[in-house]
Amino acid sequence: MDDYLIGVLSNIGVISFVALSAYLLLLTGEISFGQQAFFAIGAYAAGIATALWGWPLAAALVWGAAIGGGAALLVGIPTLRLHGLYFAVATLAFAEMVRILFELFHYQISIGGELVGPNGAEGFRNIRYIFDNNIDAFQFLLLIYSLLAVALLGFMLLERSRIGVTFRMIGEDETLAGLQGISVARHKILAAGIAGALAGVGGGLYAHLTTYVEPRIFDVMLGVHSLAYGLIGGLGTALGPLLGVLIDIGLLESIRILAGYRMIIFGGLVALLLIVRPRGLLDEQVVYWISRLWRRIFARVRRSRLNPRDRNV
Amino acid sequence: MIDLVQNTIDGVMIGSSYGLLALGFTLIFGVMRKLNLSYGPSIMIGGYLGTVLYLQYGAGLLAVAGAVVVGAVITGIYVERLCFAPMKAGAGIASMVSSFAIWMQLEQVAILILPRHTYAFPALATGLPLEFWSLLVRIDHLIVLCCALGLAAAVQLMLYRTRFGLGLRAIVGNPVAAHLVGINVQMAVLLAFAGASAIGGVAGFLVLAVDQQITPMFGMWATLKGLIAMMIGGLGSVPGAVLGGLLLGVLEAHSQWYFGPHIRDLVAYLVLFAFLVLRPGGLLGGAPETTTPLKA
Repeated sequence: MDDYLIGVLSNIGVISFVALSAYLLLLTGEISFGQQAFFAIGAYAAGIATALWGWPLAAALVWGAAIGGGAALLVGIPTLRLHGLYFAVATLAFAEMVRILFELFHYQISIGGELVGPNGAEGFRNIRYIFDNNIDAFQFLLLIYSLLAVALLGFMLLERSRIGVTFRMIGEDETLAGLQGISVARHKILAAGIAGALAGVGGGLYAHLTTYVEPRIFDVMLGVHSLAYGLIGGLGTALGPLLGVLIDIGLLESIRILAGYRMIIFGGLVALLLIVRPRGLLDEQVVYWISRLWRRIFARVRRSRLNPRDRNV
Repeated sequence: MIDLVQNTIDGVMIGSSYGLLALGFTLIFGVMRKLNLSYGPSIMIGGYLGTVLYLQYGAGLLAVAGAVVVGAVITGIYVERLCFAPMKAGAGIASMVSSFAIWMQLEQVAILILPRHTYAFPALATGLPLEFWSLLVRIDHLIVLCCALGLAAAVQLMLYRTRFGLGLRAIVGNPVAAHLVGINVQMAVLLAFAGASAIGGVAGFLVLAVDQQITPMFGMWATLKGLIAMMIGGLGSVPGAVLGGLLLGVLEAHSQWYFGPHIRDLVAYLVLFAFLVLRPGGLLGGAPETTTPLKA
């Protein structure tokens, strides 16, 4: 694969983590404009861990996820009472506070005669772990996608588990879920924590992919984009947000002819798409049809195996 | 002491433009219960139209003002037709994301029209600031304040003293019931949207004329400032929008003076966050609805 393709694919993989993070909150019925905050926190935490403290990458990613998840839990508690627009704006306010705090954050250590570490609005340069350890771009791509596969597998299991069903139920009708004896508060905080950790892992990968982070990357644009990915791709399955990222970064990056008109076409297409499919391409209905079709085919195959005479039917 | 008073005055002056932005925002949100992220960018398109007239044809101040308002209204109607009118009831998130997509589109259009980063915009009022007991007040700021108070009063009167306002309030209460008693809901919503865009256009013109420049960042700035002021003041409340804008302006002026621009933005968001957590209804809004107004 050429470098350009690897770069685009790596980008898609990393951004998918933030998209999944916003998607998880959408399942519980909350719109967050602020998942980029945990992405930023994860990026800085993991970057500091490898570049300043000399940790191995795996430990740094776990650390980024833990800090991102912990921060999300802390924000989840005061915002628990808020819904809809109120929640969306509260998360936006929090994320902007985090971004500004990173612009004021200085923590530099001299390593080999060179100052390394976050330097306020100047950003955080030289997160050189993958160069120092001779990991090439393709290997890092594999790492991103294996972690993404683990996350997706987690989502698949989650959506079949009691907790996952409860999340969707809270998203459908919070009051009703509460009346059924479900602890809405506990589940929402749990969802916020998992979403924060997911964004944290993504941030850790991002910091090591680009080797350089600066606060202005993590602005509202990133947050609203990651929210939009789930809505474009579909809210029926965790593959939805991935499809959204693929359409935005993959398709539009590759159509270079449209440079300059890209957002005019993309913006219009998304607006038209949302009129026809307000819950995205792969919404609950489509996912249900696909799974029913799949089950039918599967059932037919199994029946024909059990009873060979049916084969000709 | 004199600093304290001067900063407060400056804050009130800057805050009145936030209040104007919030006024249009709160009208849209109050009627539709949906968030229009394209609010700032549609004003920006109006601003770019005005700039083109000013730079290419040397249009006067009033012509530019008219162009900004007309541009904002036309773009606002485009946004309403594309992102809000065709959506099913209850598809609030879809409308919001769709208006975000249109934001991206409008920003690109603005950059295609005028590709440089900054362009000059005609000044509202030149001349020395007025002086009251060694306190300085800029004339253009005074004009903005008067416009904000005047427009807020006009909107309040329109909502509570006219038949059209009564219809709008009926739609806010219950759109289906409003339809059943013979109110043309689609038309009323479209008119409210256009009116809100016109107010936004006035706000945008005044801000740009005070700053004397326009950049493609203006759309995002207008949406964010309007949103913060609206949330602090209380959703759907006209006096709240103005009051929220003024409070935001005063807070920003003081924190800018004492701590610099980074802390200024931090304070604005911190106050917003604190308001949402402790008093989600804002200064003058009622308690927020228990049902989620923005459900998909």
